[in-house]
Amino acid sequence: MKSTALDARRITPLARARRWLTPLAWLALLLLSAGMGQLEWLFRLIEPDVRAVVYRRSGFFALLGQHILVVGVASLLAVVLGVGAAIAVTRPAGRDFLPLVSQLASIGQTFPPVAVLALAVPVLGFGTLPIIVALLLYGLLPIVRNTLAGIGSIPAEVHEAARGMGMTAGQVLRQVELPLAAPVILAGIRTSVTINIATAALGATVGASNLGDPIITGIVNGNTAYIVQGAVLIGLLALAVDSGFERLLRRG
Amino acid sequence: MIELFDVTKRFGDETAVDGITLRIEKGELCVLVGTSGCGKSTTLRMVNRLIEHDGGEIHLDGQPVRSFDEVTLRRRIGYVIQSTGLFPHWTVARNIGLVPRLLKWPRARVRERVEELMRLLGLPVAEFADKYPRQLSGGQAQRVGVARALAADPDILLMDEPFGALDPITRETLQHELRELQARLHKTIVFVTHDMDEALSLADRLVVMHQGRIVQQGGPIELLHDPANAFVESLLGGMDRGLKEAALIKVGERMLPLGPRLLASERIAYGASLSQALSVMLWHQVDRLTVVDEEDIPIGELSLRRLLGARAS
Repeated sequence: MKSTALDARRITPLARARRWLTPLAWLALLLLSAGMGQLEWLFRLIEPDVRAVVYRRSGFFALLGQHILVVGVASLLAVVLGVGAAIAVTRPAGRDFLPLVSQLASIGQTFPPVAVLALAVPVLGFGTLPIIVALLLYGLLPIVRNTLAGIGSIPAEVHEAARGMGMTAGQVLRQVELPLAAPVILAGIRTSVTINIATAALGATVGASNLGDPIITGIVNGNTAYIVQGAVLIGLLALAVDSGFERLLRRG
Repeated sequence: MIELFDVTKRFGDETAVDGITLRIEKGELCVLVGTSGCGKSTTLRMVNRLIEHDGGEIHLDGQPVRSFDEVTLRRRIGYVIQSTGLFPHWTVARNIGLVPRLLKWPRARVRERVEELMRLLGLPVAEFADKYPRQLSGGQAQRVGVARALAADPDILLMDEPFGALDPITRETLQHELRELQARLHKTIVFVTHDMDEALSLADRLVVMHQGRIVQQGGPIELLHDPANAFVESLLGGMDRGLKEAALIKVGERMLPLGPRLLASERIAYGASLSQALSVMLWHQVDRLTVVDEEDIPIGELSLRRLLGARAS
C-alpha cells in the first residue's frame, strides 16, 4: 500500500507502453481486419455458392472511418450536452431542474434507437444526421447519470472547505468537483460510447454508410459472410475503444 | 478584531442565532461553547459568510463583512473544520498551498511557505509533502488542515470543532500544540466546541451559548467561580468544577521554595496542573510533593495545604 505512490513515479516509458498493450493489440487487430478483402478464401468457406463473398461496395477502411466519425460526433455532442446539463443542474441556480433533467435523460434511453430513426427521418431526411440524433439521445443517459452521481458523491466537507478557503464557484468546479468526479464521468462516457458503436450499425438502414452496411446488405441478400465482416469489425472497434477507456480509468 | 452587533439568523421559522452581540479582540482566543444546535457553528460561519446573517452587523477591524467580496473575505480568514475537508486528490503540500496559490503567490514563495508550515506543525517535509490525505492518521490530517488555514498568514482563524473527531490522546496533543502555536502567532481565533474541558483549557475567553443566545461570557476561572445560571453550571460539570479549575492552575503558581525539610519522595513537574498534583497525592497517599523542572531538578515543594489554598486565595 505504502509503495504505490512511489511506484507510480518510477514508471519507465517501456512499462507505460506495456500498460497500453491491450488496447493497442485490439486496435492492431481491428486495422488488420479492415484489410480482410484479402481473405476471400476464408469467407468462401462460409458461403461457397454466392458470387461475391467480400463486401466491396465500399472499402472497409472507409466504412470504419465513417463509423468512427458518426459515433465520435454523436458521443462528443452527448458528452458536451450531458456533462454540461449535469453541471448546470448541480449549481445553486439550476438545482430546480435536476429532477427534470435526470428524467429527460432516462426517457431518451427508453426510446429504442430504431424508433428515433423512424421519427427522425421524415424531419431530417436520410443520411448521417438522423443516426447522429438517435445515438446522441441514446447515449445521453449514462453520461448525465454518471456525472450527477460523480458530483453528488463528493463529500460535503470538501465542498465546505473549498468554499471556506475562498475558491470561486468556477475554481471549485474545475479544481475540485470535476477532477474528483472524473472517474465516474469517464465510466459513463465509456458505457455510452461502447453501446453507440454497436447501435450505429442501424444507421445503414437510413442511408448512413458505415460498418452496418455489410450487415444490412448481408441480411437482405442472405449473405452470411457480409454479416460476419461487419460484425467482426464493429466488435473489434468496440473492444479497442472499451479497453482504451479501461486503461484511462485504471490510471485515475 | 471581530465585532458582532445584534446579529440574528433564521432558518425558516427557526431562529438559530438570536440577537448576539460579541466583541473578539485582536490576538484573543475566544471559544464559543454550548450544546449542539445552540447556534455556535452558525455564528462562526456567519463571520466568513458561508452563512449570511439576516439581521444586525458583523465587522472585521471596523468594516462590515458585507462590504467585502465574499471570496476575498474568505481568503483573508483561516478556516478549519472537524472533518478537515482536505482535497482527497491533492497531496499534503498542494492542500496546504491552496490559498497562497489562489492569491497568485509566486511558486517558489508558495513552496517555501508550505515547507515552513509543515515544520511548524510537526510534519516532516520529506515524509509528508507527497502523501495523500487518505494516507494520514486523523491527527496528521487535522495538522494539515490547520497548516492550510494558516497558509496565507491570515489574522483571523475560525475553527469549527477541529479536534472533535479525534481520539482523546491526539486531541489533547493538538490542543497543546494549538496553545503553543497561539503563544507564538497571536492570531485572533474563534473556536467552536461542545467539549467544556477543551474550551476551558484553550480559551482566553469563553462564550457560553444556549438556544441562539449568549448566556455568559468570561475567562475560564471567572466562569467556574461564578456561573450565571444552572445551565452554565451543569455545562461546567457541576461537582467536578473544583477539579476543572485545578486543571487550569499550574503547580508552579502554588509551590513553595525548597525548605529545610527532606525532599518528598514523589515528584511533580513544574508545568503540571494542580489536578494532576492532587491525583499523584491521592495515588501515593502522600500530602507533599517535590516540584521539579524540565531537567528533573528539584526546585520547590507543594503541600496539600498549599494546593487547597488555591481556592482560599
